[in-house]
Amino acid sequence: MLAYNLRIAARSLRRNPVLTAVIIGGIALGICISTTFTTIRHMFTRDPLPGKSARIVYVRLDNWDKDQAYPKSAGGGNAYDVPPQITYKDASALVRSTIPVHQFLSYISGLVVFPDRSVSRPYTDRIRFTQSDFFLMFDVPFRYGHPWDRRADAAGEQVAVIDDATNQKLFGGGNSVGKTVRIKDRSFTVVGVLAPWRPFIRVYDLINNWSAAPEGIYLPFAVGTRMEARPSGETDVPRWAPPFGQDFAAALRSELDYVQLWAELRSPADRAAYQRFIDDYVRQQKALGRFPRPVNDPVLSLRELLTDMNVMRPSVTAMAVISILFLVICSLNLTGLVLGKFLARVPEVSVRRALGASRADVFLQHILECELVGIAGGAIGMILSSGIVRFIGKLITDTTVISLDLEMIASAVFLSLVAGFVAGLYPAWRICNTQPAVQLKI
Amino acid sequence: MLQMNDIRKVYRTDLVETHALEGFSLNVESGEFVAVMGPSGSGKTTFLNIAGLLDVFDGGSYRLGGKDVSRLGDRAMSQIRNRSIGFIFQSFNLIPDLDVFDNVDVPLRYRGIGGAERRERIEDAVGKVGLSSRMHHLPSQLSGGQQQRAAIARVLAAQPELILADEPTGNLDSIMAREIMDLLEEINRAGTTVVMVTHSPECAARAAREIHLLDGRVVDIERPPALIGSRQAR
Repeated sequence: MLAYNLRIAARSLRRNPVLTAVIIGGIALGICISTTFTTIRHMFTRDPLPGKSARIVYVRLDNWDKDQAYPKSAGGGNAYDVPPQITYKDASALVRSTIPVHQFLSYISGLVVFPDRSVSRPYTDRIRFTQSDFFLMFDVPFRYGHPWDRRADAAGEQVAVIDDATNQKLFGGGNSVGKTVRIKDRSFTVVGVLAPWRPFIRVYDLINNWSAAPEGIYLPFAVGTRMEARPSGETDVPRWAPPFGQDFAAALRSELDYVQLWAELRSPADRAAYQRFIDDYVRQQKALGRFPRPVNDPVLSLRELLTDMNVMRPSVTAMAVISILFLVICSLNLTGLVLGKFLARVPEVSVRRALGASRADVFLQHILECELVGIAGGAIGMILSSGIVRFIGKLITDTTVISLDLEMIASAVFLSLVAGFVAGLYPAWRICNTQPAVQLKI
Repeated sequence: MLQMNDIRKVYRTDLVETHALEGFSLNVESGEFVAVMGPSGSGKTTFLNIAGLLDVFDGGSYRLGGKDVSRLGDRAMSQIRNRSIGFIFQSFNLIPDLDVFDNVDVPLRYRGIGGAERRERIEDAVGKVGLSSRMHHLPSQLSGGQQQRAAIARVLAAQPELILADEPTGNLDSIMAREIMDLLEEINRAGTTVVMVTHSPECAARAAREIHLLDGRVVDIERPPALIGSRQAR
């Protein structure tokens, strides 16, 4: 019977192609808008590291002024009123903890890269100084080679990992492991080349423009200190801290917040233990005259941090909700057209009722027709939406990173079916309640 | 087959109540051929609507095939219409964008009959009404008589126990009308009960019994024994 009803529905749609096209177009428009905005929201809300997000934590310490809390960001983020990064000396002390299974320190610095003269002129690049666990914890994909190891971290070896674009730029692509890249006044041996990698949110650094592309070159954290590579990203210094001028060694000893500390913990118990470890450390430092404010050192998981740093703006959710309401309004507006189309078919329906079709049969037949329209509109809407989200992706991040994944396609199909149902519910109910005796002269 | 007892049907508007049937009682035996006559507004159409479970009534009782159908739900009534009742309409009421085969197929689809049996029934029924060569013609490609034969094929394929026909020859010329009446007689002879509303005395004369309605009541039942013989002799 389903196949029969589908045949009737398809025949009915062909009977008036212009009207059918208008109805499909209306649903396509609604699906396009709703899918676009729900996809953008989905990009913000989906788990950036499935299975890991709850275990990866970020450390912040409140070394701010006694009488003035750290200012919230303009967007209202940072519910804990705490500086988003920590000092070098705190980072160096905390990273010695044995509670995390993985952990790393990180900061960015702008340095001059000297390619081979035959290839390109020297250029300044943002370089991330980090530790080997960074690549592991954030699932950074490698095309050639591998990350450096912990021994290289400890020894401050002059090794580098470069991304695909840098590999193309410096070496023309291919396996460049073992080649040398000169940065500032030192040479680094390439140990790994990344595969093309462009996360929508650069979750490992929510402080320095989370929507930017990942850096092109990664060097060991200890090398940055040895090279006296000054931080070029966001930094903070509380007013109570003594000035340190241009002396890099003094900066390392100062209250300059520029280092990010990430840790991966095995379990909630480890997280509690790690929080206690941080609290104890802060109390010790308070005894030494630092941290003038009450103890405030929230250890937040990656997901919690995304919320706290206000990456996921409420306006994105609001736009997604409004876009779905727009789809509902589109569908409701189409109700009139669908009703007119169905009422023109009352004589046929009356004949079918006389020949044995129940109200349920008639309802099902007409709802199926609406669902066919919904699916057709949904397919067109998804194609349009796919193009629009790519365009919006380019506007936001200068490279295409937004696309409809399977979850969003399933959601769009579901919304298409809902749209068809909403558009057809009242007309199908009206026509299935037609009194055949009124229309048939028997 | 059909037992209506003291049926009452009132059509109401804001201003007026119209008593379409008032104390209407009728028994039709299984296998009978009954003609229902009466002037316009006498309640013939209302009677057929109620008999065909296409309309509800306000009072009285109605048994069809021995079963009380007064308080059935929509699905049960639809099943009875599908399995037990066949309708022949004055204006044929074929679905315009279905060919003869698909029109005859409609009631069989709602009965859930399998494909092979449906095809067999359709070809048999269409053959009986002489439209095999028009199987895949649309109604608009058929004459009035051919359309009514297609409608009769739709009834034949469904094999109902009761046929309700409203002016089945009303839109046809006399030759076509005779052909249709011949078909109805043949169907009745095969055992199917036929109740036919008509204004035509000639058509009514071919029924075994004539019932006359006036103001929503049965006023006269003619059962001339000689008629059966004359019908057979015709």
